[in-house]
Amino acid sequence: MDAPALQIEDLEKVYPTGTQALQGVSLEIPRGDFFGLLGPNGAGKSTLIHCTTGLAMPTGGSIRVFGHDAVENYGEARTAIGLAPQDLNIDHFLTAEETLDYHGGYFGMPRKERRERTAELLETFSLTSKRKDRTRTLSGGMKRRLILARALMHRPRLLILDEPTAGVDVELRLELWHYVQRINAEGTTILLTTHYLEEAEQLCDHVAFINHGQIVAQGTSAELASEFGVSSLEDAYLELVGRKELSRAHIPADVEAADAA
Amino acid sequence: MSAAQIRFFSLLRRELNRFLKIKRQTVGAPLLETFLYISVFGAALGSRIDTLHGFDYVVFIVPGLIMMAWATNAFSNNSSSILQQKFQRAIDDQLSSPASPLQLLLAFSLGGFVRGMTVATLTFIASSILIGVPLENVHVLLPALFLVGFFFAQMGVLIGVRAEQFDDVSFAQTFVLQPLIFLGGVFYSASLLPEPFQTLTHFNPVYYMIGLVRYGFLDYSDTNVALSLVFLTAATALLFAFNLRLFSRGWKLRA
Repeated sequence: MDAPALQIEDLEKVYPTGTQALQGVSLEIPRGDFFGLLGPNGAGKSTLIHCTTGLAMPTGGSIRVFGHDAVENYGEARTAIGLAPQDLNIDHFLTAEETLDYHGGYFGMPRKERRERTAELLETFSLTSKRKDRTRTLSGGMKRRLILARALMHRPRLLILDEPTAGVDVELRLELWHYVQRINAEGTTILLTTHYLEEAEQLCDHVAFINHGQIVAQGTSAELASEFGVSSLEDAYLELVGRKELSRAHIPADVEAADAA
Repeated sequence: MSAAQIRFFSLLRRELNRFLKIKRQTVGAPLLETFLYISVFGAALGSRIDTLHGFDYVVFIVPGLIMMAWATNAFSNNSSSILQQKFQRAIDDQLSSPASPLQLLLAFSLGGFVRGMTVATLTFIASSILIGVPLENVHVLLPALFLVGFFFAQMGVLIGVRAEQFDDVSFAQTFVLQPLIFLGGVFYSASLLPEPFQTLTHFNPVYYMIGLVRYGFLDYSDTNVALSLVFLTAATALLFAFNLRLFSRGWKLRA
């Protein structure tokens, strides 16, 4: 049987400061899945992603990416992953084109393939006219597009999107989801973290809630809503974090009408 | 080319591209600085100083200036490059790639090494044209300069990785590196110093580096050449091994 895209067992991370960010997380993402990892700020989402991509060193447990151990066999594991991080972490010395070209090089892509893929992604993300511009001159939205293009440059089999739509306008958000749904349909596994629960509900095949460094629930959106005895993923989330009084179901109809006006 | 070779050359290209994009600051400024030293210490003051160990004063100081150019540029390039990338978090792109700790360390090291070599070579060519610099022992000079350049490239990597803010880099450069280089005998012969300064100089590792480079150019040295070369090789190898261990453990790079 084919190994899952991501298999995490009893993952622990204690930072040198003593903060225990992950407390025995176990998670399995099947190949081709669109998986949502949801939880409040500080729950451990980014730490889990950092441990998977080599940006943090796990202090216990194991991570396997398509069967490759992310620590022992990091070369194979990282080759399979494309990471679009939360921060706009692009190199200010480089142009948009160089950003993609170097990234492809770090992943061992030959020059001809890099050139073709760079042109294709710059076009896809409407950055062709900015290809020679230094990245620091790009707008926030363009930087976000470039980070997504960079994550896709080496054709990863597992694409990790860490809050990709934070601060992004509606147009880019929709463009992004169309693109990601398309590559998901073509076989790329997606791991998404987001605070937009409606998006997660619409897009994800499976969802896991993480809180205080532990996976507290997982399943389809419908299964989670049913587990918490509510009607939506958002309400299930509010139950989880103990803030069910914020549920939209409690907003009186006249307030909703006033908001709409 | 294998995937590993493409990876390494891409990492290295990034480092070289960085300093070449700002070459006025990274190559032009150090060249000007070296020529100011040659003008002030050599041409202006040197005319009042008798020969040192049989050499014109300006000729005596040029080997040290060439070594200083290589060392300081290798150091400052690598420390700044790494710290800037840490600040922007752009370094995460390299760290989350399949690159091995050895590939990362070598690429970060060689960026500054090549910048130092560029400035040192240009300084040598210009000095040769302007004042004429002998080249007596190339078989010692080349390994000595390569080792000095690589040693300070490693120091730059170490300080850049360790640094939390730009102040940490400038502190190391201003309060440690510059005094060691200046007091190592770039501008004078340690044998002329009164005690206890002459003895104290022997505890400065840069003194032996300058001795080697001066021997390479002028065939004159206050130090034991063979022993200095052995110690410099050992110190460079140890520092490289130490950095490789830090990179393998992800110290200050991976959380």
